[in-house]
Amino acid sequence: EISAPWTFHNLQELRHSASLANKVFLQRDYSDGTTCRFQTKFPSELESRIERPLFEDTVKRLNIYYAEAEKMGGQSYLEGCLACATAYLIFLCMETRYEKVLKKIGRYIQEQNEKIYAPRGLLITDPIERGMRVVSLQLLLLLCVCVCERETDKEKHKDR
Amino acid sequence: MPGFSSGGLGGEVGGPAASPPCPFRPSRFVPVSAATTFLVGSTTLFFCFTCPWLSEHVSSVIPIYNAVVFLFTLANFCMATFMDPGVFPRAEEDEDKEDDFRAPLYKTVEVKGIQVRMKWCSSCRFYRPPRCSHCSVCDNCVEDFDHHCPWVNNCIGRRNYRHFFLFLLSLTIHIMGVFGFGLLYILQHQHQLDSVHSSVTMATMCTAGLFFIPVAGLTGFHMVLVARGRTTNEQVTGKFRGGVNPFTNGCLRNVSHVLCSSQAPRYVGRWRGKQTVEVQPPFLRPPLSEAQLEAKVLDNGIQNDHHSSRSKSSLEQMESQSADAEPPPPPKPEVRYPGLPRADTEESSLLSEGPSTPSMYKYRPAYSSPQRNHTALTHPNKMIRGDSLDSPSILQSSRQASYRSEPSSLDGGSVIGLAARGGERGEGPGGSSGTGGEVAGGISGYSLGGRSYTSYPSSLVLSTGGSHSSSMRSAHTHHNTLGTLQSEGTTDTSYKSLANQTPQNGSLSYDSLLTPSESPEFESAAHELSPQKPHAPAAFPTAMTSSPPPGVRDVPLQGYTSPFLSAQMAQQREGQLLQGSASFSSPNRAYLRTFSPPPPNPPHAAHPETQHHLLHQDSRHPHLRATSSIRPLPPVSEQHSPSSPHACSPDPPVSPPPRGPSLRKSPSYTGEAGLQHKARSMGGASLSGEGGVRVTQAPQSTSRPGLANHSTSKPVGGVKKVTGVGGTTYEISV
Repeated sequence: EISAPWTFHNLQELRHSASLANKVFLQRDYSDGTTCRFQTKFPSELESRIERPLFEDTVKRLNIYYAEAEKMGGQSYLEGCLACATAYLIFLCMETRYEKVLKKIGRYIQEQNEKIYAPRGLLITDPIERGMRVVSLQLLLLLCVCVCERETDKEKHKDR
Repeated sequence: MPGFSSGGLGGEVGGPAASPPCPFRPSRFVPVSAATTFLVGSTTLFFCFTCPWLSEHVSSVIPIYNAVVFLFTLANFCMATFMDPGVFPRAEEDEDKEDDFRAPLYKTVEVKGIQVRMKWCSSCRFYRPPRCSHCSVCDNCVEDFDHHCPWVNNCIGRRNYRHFFLFLLSLTIHIMGVFGFGLLYILQHQHQLDSVHSSVTMATMCTAGLFFIPVAGLTGFHMVLVARGRTTNEQVTGKFRGGVNPFTNGCLRNVSHVLCSSQAPRYVGRWRGKQTVEVQPPFLRPPLSEAQLEAKVLDNGIQNDHHSSRSKSSLEQMESQSADAEPPPPPKPEVRYPGLPRADTEESSLLSEGPSTPSMYKYRPAYSSPQRNHTALTHPNKMIRGDSLDSPSILQSSRQASYRSEPSSLDGGSVIGLAARGGERGEGPGGSSGTGGEVAGGISGYSLGGRSYTSYPSSLVLSTGGSHSSSMRSAHTHHNTLGTLQSEGTTDTSYKSLANQTPQNGSLSYDSLLTPSESPEFESAAHELSPQKPHAPAAFPTAMTSSPPPGVRDVPLQGYTSPFLSAQMAQQREGQLLQGSASFSSPNRAYLRTFSPPPPNPPHAAHPETQHHLLHQDSRHPHLRATSSIRPLPPVSEQHSPSSPHACSPDPPVSPPPRGPSLRKSPSYTGEAGLQHKARSMGGASLSGEGGVRVTQAPQSTSRPGLANHSTSKPVGGVKKVTGVGGTTYEISV
């Protein structure tokens, strides 16, 4: 049986009520080691919900962001030296490079949700919430459809 | 000073204040307290008694230098102690739902051309990413798990490995400095050796000298690990022994990764921003292509566009969709079953190779009581769950004598007979009761010899029999995964599958009745690096049987049978458990033959040959090892050939193989751990599992190296298989 969140319109509530059904998970792509990458394979469940290029674009952009976060360059090296020099007290006031990129990723996902996924009845959750193991996409379509139907049915019954 | 040797035992040995009621809590903090005391105390004494003279008569830089080094050591020590090592949060229920209840215990991914296994973690409920391991002391999966260090009372993982490594380096330098400058002081005060300052200096020198040997050894060990790009866990389990490490990027890059990479983020305890996206139906839909439209017309409606239906039926469709994420494959049991003896790609190759371990399924049934009015989906789950309860016995036996559990796990095949009989009784719904009965008849020929009965092989059978659609799906997914799984397995897997009590698709409640009471104990016992308490295995059956979860009628029946449970008792239990089971559909037959009952002969006698045989078998079919792991040991098929032609035909050569990897894995690891531990005891390796494991597994360690030697890589068809001592096999595409 499915709980009937007929009055839910907010994303958070919908997410919770749809938590156990209709979720698509994008797994990590470990072909290049343990660096953070997600598979860009288009899940079959999304075929009727979103265009493939849009989806792949999102995942590829996420992969780019994660590669940027994990890049071992001058900035990360300097950050490490500074942290050692200050006995890691610098972390009390400064944000690590990774965290900065993660915030950027969070903003990107929010923007993608607003612009592309929510209008199609999908919701991407930030993989950091799951330990960066999967990206979950919630398919919100059915619940909302049922909400509309129920309301229209009620109206019909009222009229009669 | 207590030896730095076995980390797990060191804590307890050095804890005289450990109170019996809660033995763990105080003893966990003893090593870290001792380390802190020695570090801070000795350094303070050095600064107070030795440094004043040194700064006056030698150089004032000396105290400054020592202070800097000491602060660096202390900072890294604190970071290593208090920093989250990279703990993965527990997976939510919805993530688990994606995998069927017969999903395999291992998933294989290819990392730089090398097959790496990801094991299902029953505590955390996800497939552990590569290099991730579950720490039983912390009860968490840790990313890039290195080891659990009792001296910092924390796991060393991705986030704090750098701090741990720098702590070791700086501590070595600090000890050398203290010892060196103390020696300088003593040499200049040879006429005043009885003064307080001199005696204190000599005391600190002794302490420093005593600690120098293990610390330097451990530092050198980790320097080698960093250069090679390995973790302690991988080194100790011998994963890459004689093989290729897929996680290395070259010495320089490995070192820079440890030292220069940005600090990884923490996964737990993050502040979650509230998303406020407004969702307004109707939703946009991409235009459907011709092929998609055609597919919709042809399919049986499960993949229908719900949006377009716009009726109450959409609810049912959603329900069905949640139950079956994809349309069930066309049922062709008659075709499938005969296909098995032939070279039917994965399955037949699986059969010919022989399954490695019995419990390769992360057993995730919904624990539904018989009274619940569930669909047929739940019936096989019920049986599976009950069956899987046998795995604690396997765990036990694996603890004590790792190979003993193998035959018992083989007994899982005999459960099929019971299950089939249960199905025959016509309990529960089942569309294909006719075929189920037929299958049962064939299976019943198998004797239920052997001791305990593993659950998971029967779970495979039962689940397929439960509901037609679910069985199809399971069969489908199972078939797909066969080719990818490696047949490396341990007896631990059976027990993990037992502990993993996941609700079935139909039941949305996550309150697996057995999970709370079972899984922590299972996990803690089964984890490779967990401190193995010799009495723990023995405690399992009693603990399990004494604490059945409430609300489940089957729990008492499904108690954790000891490995030495008589066949009759096991039969009885299985029969009771199977009372609600649906009949078996014909796809079950595809798996029935794979789960042939184990040979009734004692496992010990069969161990040497089976291991040997298994190793050879594995080397012959490297890419199929994963699939073979799904099935229990088919060796028995030889004995049961007259009873069922289907089950027996392909199996004769397969008999020993399944046990080999399982047998190899845990004992060889422990044996290896023991051997390596001895070699590294100087370095004060603080692996939590070593000491206890060594105690229990020492007798078998001698046989393990022999096994390991057998596992030479045999290039087969362009795939080179390399087996580590730890039992992990890596396949390298040549």
